[in-house]
Formats: sequence, C-alpha cells, structure tokens
Amino acid sequence: MNLAILRPGEKGKITKIDVSGPLKRRLMDMGVLVGEEVKVEKVAPLGDPIEVTVKSYKLSLRKKEAKNILVEVSDE
Amino acid sequence: MSSQAQAGIYPDPGIQAAAGKTVTIAVAGNPNSGKSTLINAIAGTKLHVGNWAGVTVEKKEAVFDYEGGRIRLVDLPGIYSMSPYSQEEVIARNYLSTEMPDVIVDVVDSTNLERNLYLTVQLLELGLPVVLALNISDEADKKGYSIDSALIAEMMGVTVVKTSATKKRGLDDLLKAVVRVAKDSSKHHPRQLNYGEDIDTAVKHIEARLRNDYPALDDSHSLRWIAIKLMEGDGDVQRRFNISSSDPLTDRAFAHLKKGQGEDIESMLADARYAQAAGVTREVLHKPETDKVELTEKIDRVVLSRLFGIPIFLLAMWLLFKLTFDISTPFVDWVDAVITGPLTRWTEAILAFVGASDWMVSLAVDGVIGGVGSVLVFVPVIFAMMFFITFLEGSGYMARAAFVMDRAMHKIGLHGKSFIPMILGFGCNVPAIYATRTLENRKDKVLTALIIPLMSCGARLPVYVLFTAAFFSAYKSTVLWSLYVLGIAMAILMGLIFKKTIFKGEAPTFVMELPPYRMPSFRSLMIHTWEKGKHFLIKAGTYIFAVSILVWFLINLPWGVEDQKDSYLGQAGQVAAPVLQPLGFGNWQAASSLFSGLIAKEIVVGTMGQIYAPEDETEVEEETPTFLEDTEEIGTSFAVAVKDSTLSVVSSFGITSITAEDDPEQAGLTGEVAGAFTPLSAFAFMAFVLLYMPCVILLIASRQEFGTWKWAGVAFGYQMVLAWVVAAAIYQGGKLLGFGA
Repeated sequence: MNLAILRPGEKGKITKIDVSGPLKRRLMDMGVLVGEEVKVEKVAPLGDPIEVTVKSYKLSLRKKEAKNILVEVSDE
Repeated sequence: MSSQAQAGIYPDPGIQAAAGKTVTIAVAGNPNSGKSTLINAIAGTKLHVGNWAGVTVEKKEAVFDYEGGRIRLVDLPGIYSMSPYSQEEVIARNYLSTEMPDVIVDVVDSTNLERNLYLTVQLLELGLPVVLALNISDEADKKGYSIDSALIAEMMGVTVVKTSATKKRGLDDLLKAVVRVAKDSSKHHPRQLNYGEDIDTAVKHIEARLRNDYPALDDSHSLRWIAIKLMEGDGDVQRRFNISSSDPLTDRAFAHLKKGQGEDIESMLADARYAQAAGVTREVLHKPETDKVELTEKIDRVVLSRLFGIPIFLLAMWLLFKLTFDISTPFVDWVDAVITGPLTRWTEAILAFVGASDWMVSLAVDGVIGGVGSVLVFVPVIFAMMFFITFLEGSGYMARAAFVMDRAMHKIGLHGKSFIPMILGFGCNVPAIYATRTLENRKDKVLTALIIPLMSCGARLPVYVLFTAAFFSAYKSTVLWSLYVLGIAMAILMGLIFKKTIFKGEAPTFVMELPPYRMPSFRSLMIHTWEKGKHFLIKAGTYIFAVSILVWFLINLPWGVEDQKDSYLGQAGQVAAPVLQPLGFGNWQAASSLFSGLIAKEIVVGTMGQIYAPEDETEVEEETPTFLEDTEEIGTSFAVAVKDSTLSVVSSFGITSITAEDDPEQAGLTGEVAGAFTPLSAFAFMAFVLLYMPCVILLIASRQEFGTWKWAGVAFGYQMVLAWVVAAAIYQGGKLLGFGA
C-alpha cells in the first residue's frame, strides 16, 4: 500500500520512504517520517497533487512522490 | 559582508556588557510562522532590503537604537530545516555558522508547534543563545491551546517570549529578552540534543579531530555543529570549511554506524530531532478535545473542491489581473500625462530661456525625460502587482492556487504557482517576471520567466490594432484571439522543449505546506510593497534610463540626420531587411520599426508613424498653458486618476487593459501600412511582434531577478529564432496555400 492510492479520508501509518537524496530529506524535514500517521484529505480538482495531514498540519505533494511513501492502513 | 568587526568572534560576556556594543540578532523561522510580519512590526520603515551576496534571495536588515544600546537585526530566509539542499537553507546555515550572531531569534508558529520546534532543535545545535518567539499566540489562544512556555525554556535551554505580530503583542518583551540574553550570553546555553550513545560518541570524536586537525576552526565556528553536519554527509559544510573528504575518522565513524544501524545517518538524525520536537510538544502543549471544524477546513472544502476549485481559481486570477491593471492604469496615464505635458513644456521653456540648441532640447526632452518617463510608468503597475501578490501569499491562497493548477502546469514542466506570473504577463511581462519570486525553486522560476514573454502583453496591442484595422477589419476579434492563442501554444511548446533540453533531469519536487488562511496585516503588506517598488525604481530604473538615452542617440546620430533611413536605426534596418525577406516584410522600414520595438513594443507604431507617414506629424499649435495652470492640472488629474482607479474596482467588468480601440489619429498611417503590406505579410508581422523579445526592460528585470545575464540572453536568443521561424512558416505556408496575393 502506498500513500498515492489512499482515498480522501483514509489514514495510514508510514512504514517506509522509498526515495533517497534531497527529496527524502525534504519529506523528513516536513514531518513525513516512518511511524508517522498520515491522513489523505483531498485530491486536487485535476486529480493530482494530493493534500494530507501529517504532524497536525496540511501538506501537499504529487502522487509521483506519494507513491514512494509506503503506508499500512489503520484498522480503525 | 558584515560591517561589524566582532561578528566572527565568540560573544564574550565582557564585551557584551560594554555600553554601545551593537547586538546582532539573526531572525530565523519556518515559512508561514509570521516572521515577516514580526520583523515589519519591530523594524518597519528602518528595514533595508537587499540580496544575499551572490544570490537573489531577499535579505532584510535593520539597525536601530533600543534602550541605550544598538540592535542590528538580520532576517534569515524562511526555512523548514538546516539541510544543504535549498538556496534559502544554505544562506541561513552559512550566516549562522560563520557570522555567529549574538542571539538567534527563532520565530515559531504556536499553532503548529511540533514542526516548528524541529527547526528549533537544529538551531540549538549551533550552540548560540536562542530566544524563542512563540508567535501567532492570539490564534493559539483562540483555539484554546495552552502552551507552557516556562517548560519549553527549561527543556530546550532557551528564553521564551509569547508574541503576536499581527496584534503587536509581546514585541517589546521580545526585544528586552534579546538584549538581556545578549548581555549575559555565557549563561544562556541551549540544551543539546542527545542523539543516542553511538552517534554522540562519533560526534565527539569528530569534534576532537577537527579541533586537532583544523586549528583555524575554533569554537567560534561551533565545532559540534560542523561535526554533526559531517556525520550527515553534508558536502556543503565539508567544502565550506575545507575539510578533507578522506578524513579517516569520519569515514570510520560512518562505517561503524552504518553497520550498526542499517539506515542512513541523515534519516536517523532527522528522526532523533523530530522525536525531541515531539517530546517537547507533548509536554508543553495542551489542546482542548474538540470536533470543531476549523475555518480553514471549511473554506478549503469549497475552494479546493472538484466542482468549485477551478472556477474559484479562475475568478481569483481574473480579480488579480483586473485589480492590478485597472487600479494602476489611471495612475500610469497620469504619470505619462504629467511627463509628456507640463514637465516637457517646462523643460523646453527653461532650455529655450538659457538658449540651448535644438539637439540639446531633444536630448533633454526625448532622451532624459522620455527615459525617466519609461521608468516611472511602470511604478504604479509594479506597486499594485506586488501588493496583490503579497496579499495572495500572506492570506494562504497562493499555495491553494498552486495545488489546483499543478497538474496542468506540471505537464509542461512548470510548477502550479507558475500560472500566476503567466496570467500577469498578459497585462505586462515586466511585473510578471518579478512575480516569479513566489516560486521557491530556481529551476521553476527560470523556466517560468523564460516563457512569460510569450504571453501577449498590453503593449503589443497597438501593433495588432493598427494592422487589423488596415487588413482584417471584418474579423478583428478573431485575428486578435488567434494571436493570443498562438502565444499560449508557443508557451506550451517551448515549455516542453525546455523541459527536454536545458532543464532535463530531475523535475523539482512539489512538497508544499498548505498554511491556514490568515488575514495579512495591512502594515506588513504596505511595507513589503513599498520595499519592492523602491527596489525596482533604483535597480531597474538605472538601466532603463541608460538604455533610453542610448536609443535617443541611435535615432539622432549621425549628427544632423534628416531622413530616418540614414540614422543609425535606419541603417540597422537596412542591414537586417534581407533577413526578414522570407517573412514577407524584408524592407528597412519594417526592420527599423522592429528594432525600435526592442525598447518597448508600443514604440513600433510610433516609429512606423515617423517612417511611413512623417508628413502627418503636423503639430497643432495649442495655447500653451501657464505654469500655474499646469500645476493645477497635475493636481486635478491626479484626483481624477484616484477616482478612476477606485471606480474601476467598483465596476470591474470587461477587461479594459486589453480592449482594442481604433485610434482615429492613425488613419493616415493605417492607409500607408495597407499599401506596404499584404494581409499575409501583415499577419506574419503581427506574429513576429508577438513572439520576439518584448522589450529591453524585460531583459533588465530578468537580469535583476536572477543575478545573471545568462537567462536574459537565452530568452532573447530563443525568442528571436522562434519569431523568425513562426513568421516564416506563416508567410511561406500561406503563399503555398494561395493566400499570397
């Protein structure tokens, strides 16, 4: 499962960030860390990018980037 | 560089206590933490805006007296982290690690504590005294957040002050705290984060090694910070402090850790820092349990929705365009009228009085005053644009606009935010270039700026009007429309070409915060707008003025030239004419007009007037107004401008800025042009005018914005080629299809 295929309203726990270099650092700096809970809030009107809540603030990223963020969907 | 001799020396409490010493404060913080508003509220009009050495990132500084001492305040770019990957981050790091300010003021958004404290943790690594401004505290209060600032102070070893920049609360307390901390900096040791035994041991080793091997790096450089950065594999720090890459201990420390942890050290450190930020947040922040939907969320449910997202975006863009150009147009006209009217008359009168020769009058009026005028007419539009762009950014809508448009813009290699400068380009390309500063990534900025000139600006309209009146009066709007579409099509094409050539490789990422909606403070908006406008006036103004004088000489030299054909401009036109042969207008008249169009597109029509129909220029002798009448006129016409500007906002319907109107005074010229061109060559000519370099001012703006002539050069080059190819394709293709006659 990855962040790009979650639907708005769905939550997940980050299990792996499958990128490297500047993008990985940038994601981590923005609070996208392994073990962190993310919730997909919205998909942009044209279908990309997406808006998520992480560390109780709103972050947007392209699906291309979200695809490499692996998540485990919470049961609740 | 710092004008302060002590800047690089470790802050010694003895020196600090001495009276008259300047306390240097570096202000750091996340984007959207209200840092600019805070700085504007503290230093306001004392702020000096410039650029960081060698880069085009804005640098704000202020020096002012406070309670018997002197404070030098340096605003660092808004950053999320101290990583080496963005220009802003590198600037902030370099300043903090080499200039060693007396105190770091860390502006923190109280409503977004954890992510903001992540930067705080990294600032603490520098070992400098930190004063934490818990900003936006009014909003946090409203949300019912309770933040234990004494506990933050204790846990992080910092001084904490609650502030609200928009409400002007806590600002004095903040300055007092800063002065107190600076006076006694030895007592204010920030708490250092514990990274776990393995890493801490390695950091200590590297630190000891650095102390030993690099005696030039003493404690004035925060060895611990450098050691941590080396651990992270930070190439920028390594280069900056000249540390040999094959430092055995560094390598060994790496090897040992990599084996032990199976994860990269950079991630481990980021995790550890966030763990501390989260730990502090958990202890100090108490949020009320609530299911209340926040205002930002309510607004976004509409503004970002599938159904309304794009219509609202288009409406916002239309308003931005309308407001920018409609508000400024009456003032532009007023500036223009004052310059060409009273100012010119007075100068002529004074020069005639002192007995100046004709050419001196011409140089003063056409060259100098004309040059000043061509700078000043941009001032209202730049001010208006800066005001609204700053508003869009400060309110939080800019990020939403990017979110809504990103997919479409990304297809041609651009960023969601690129759309806004491009829309503004339809009014005037020059402010549009300045508007690219809302883009964070340099690649995005440059690519957007390269494409902006293809947006057909208002200055090109007089050319279209002249030619459509002469040839296409039956299909005027269709022809006009086709030109705008041609420009957009070429922008998409060039975007794709640049994406595959100059900007090949990794596309800039799009990981962007969507900050809560906020009402920007009016004072902050005004200060920002004023600073930007002033910057334009001084920097670009000088170039534009010089170019205008140069052009005057080109038109009027050699001395005593009578026929336009023999002026340098005419001669250049004769040389260039054969190149334009395949485009259907290979004559010196057209070529010279196009040359003059490099200065500004609206000049093309003026030059054509002089070349094709000089006899039409019969001066109508008007009764010359007296000095008093003139002065009165300037005042009343300004009042009219204010009224028109206000009215245009109230009755914002129909885009006046790009309305084509026939100018009855041009009837003679229209006839001449109808004889000199065919419909086909006329259309090719208009396409050429659309696509070739809009004006030198654009080149100057681009030079100013990117700190190099390189991109101005690329823009100039590709546009010349593109204009030629497209115009040739239109003319030759049209001939093949039988439209040649």
